[in-house]
Amino acid sequence: MLIELLTDRYPGMRQWLTQRLSAVVMALYTVLFVLLIALYQPTNYAEWHDFFSPWWWRLATLLSWVCLMMHAWLGVRDVLKDYIFNVTVRSYLQLLVELVLIIDLTWMAFILVEMK
Amino acid sequence: MKFSIYRYNPDTDKKPYMQDYDIALEDSDQMLLDALVRIKQVDETLSLRKSCREGVCGSDAMNINGKNGLACITKLSDLDEPVVLRPMPGLPVIRDLVVDMTQFFDHYNSIKPYLENNDPPPETERLQSPEDRAKLDGLYECILCGACTTSCPSFWWNPDKFVGPAGLMQAYRFIADSRDQAEEERLENLEDPYRLYRCHNIMNCTDVCPKKLNPNAAIAAIKDLKIERAKEHKDAQPKTGKKIFGIKVL
Repeated sequence: MLIELLTDRYPGMRQWLTQRLSAVVMALYTVLFVLLIALYQPTNYAEWHDFFSPWWWRLATLLSWVCLMMHAWLGVRDVLKDYIFNVTVRSYLQLLVELVLIIDLTWMAFILVEMK
Repeated sequence: MKFSIYRYNPDTDKKPYMQDYDIALEDSDQMLLDALVRIKQVDETLSLRKSCREGVCGSDAMNINGKNGLACITKLSDLDEPVVLRPMPGLPVIRDLVVDMTQFFDHYNSIKPYLENNDPPPETERLQSPEDRAKLDGLYECILCGACTTSCPSFWWNPDKFVGPAGLMQAYRFIADSRDQAEEERLENLEDPYRLYRCHNIMNCTDVCPKKLNPNAAIAAIKDLKIERAKEHKDAQPKTGKKIFGIKVL
């Protein structure tokens, strides 16, 4: 089914679909985030800390962050494919983007783990 | 009426330039092509393609005041002066407003723009139900003028790899045809990351199409169909050895 389309048998569809699916996850998370903020209205550090303390909420945040990173990775890859035609330069730039995104994701994971 | 027209003759000009014309039009000159024919009467060196002069052959597609269109169905009264005319962007210029459309037609040919049906031909024609025939509306009318493809930034970026809106719409025209039997092969033919998926829904194609067609919708329909077919064929696919971003999952 959908997961079949994410395999390497469908190189074009995989990228396109991953971008759409990650966008859906981020959209759902954003709606939930706005609703919960409206409900709890955290104003200071302690309240923000409590806001992110439930494990399921931290897990949802991490999941949406993974989706954001994948979405950004694919988007930037698209832009690089369109504008950078030298394969070596493009590979280095892609690697740089991947490094930044992995550092960002790791940082986010540390923050969420430390919040409990 | 004032015109500023792109001129370039590779035999004599080092680089392209814009030439101004101020032409007295007559009452019978209603369309841009009429004015261009009038200009050719005073300057026969101006080159352009034209044929049917009624928006059917697609020969006189050009960039008119920054937007691609057909000169023969563009009303002079709708144009701001000076009317700036350039060849369609993204293709090599042969001379003046004439571009080399080899790349465009290579992409068109790559989608196999003909019915593939292995059944023996019937005595008369291959029949379609009215519903199946209706699926081709909005697709078959394309005249291959190239206005959409040459206004597409994805085509400008990857002209050798991205099929472009005109080619993709024709691909869907045959995929949607109930008489065609090569749907699987046609979808597979577009699976490469560049051929179909360079489309970023910029919508220039739909904006400029002189026949008011919607190539973007056809491209979206191809993507939807790929998902539909994957759902239908879920049991038919081999289940082992599948990788998602390098991780073995199935």
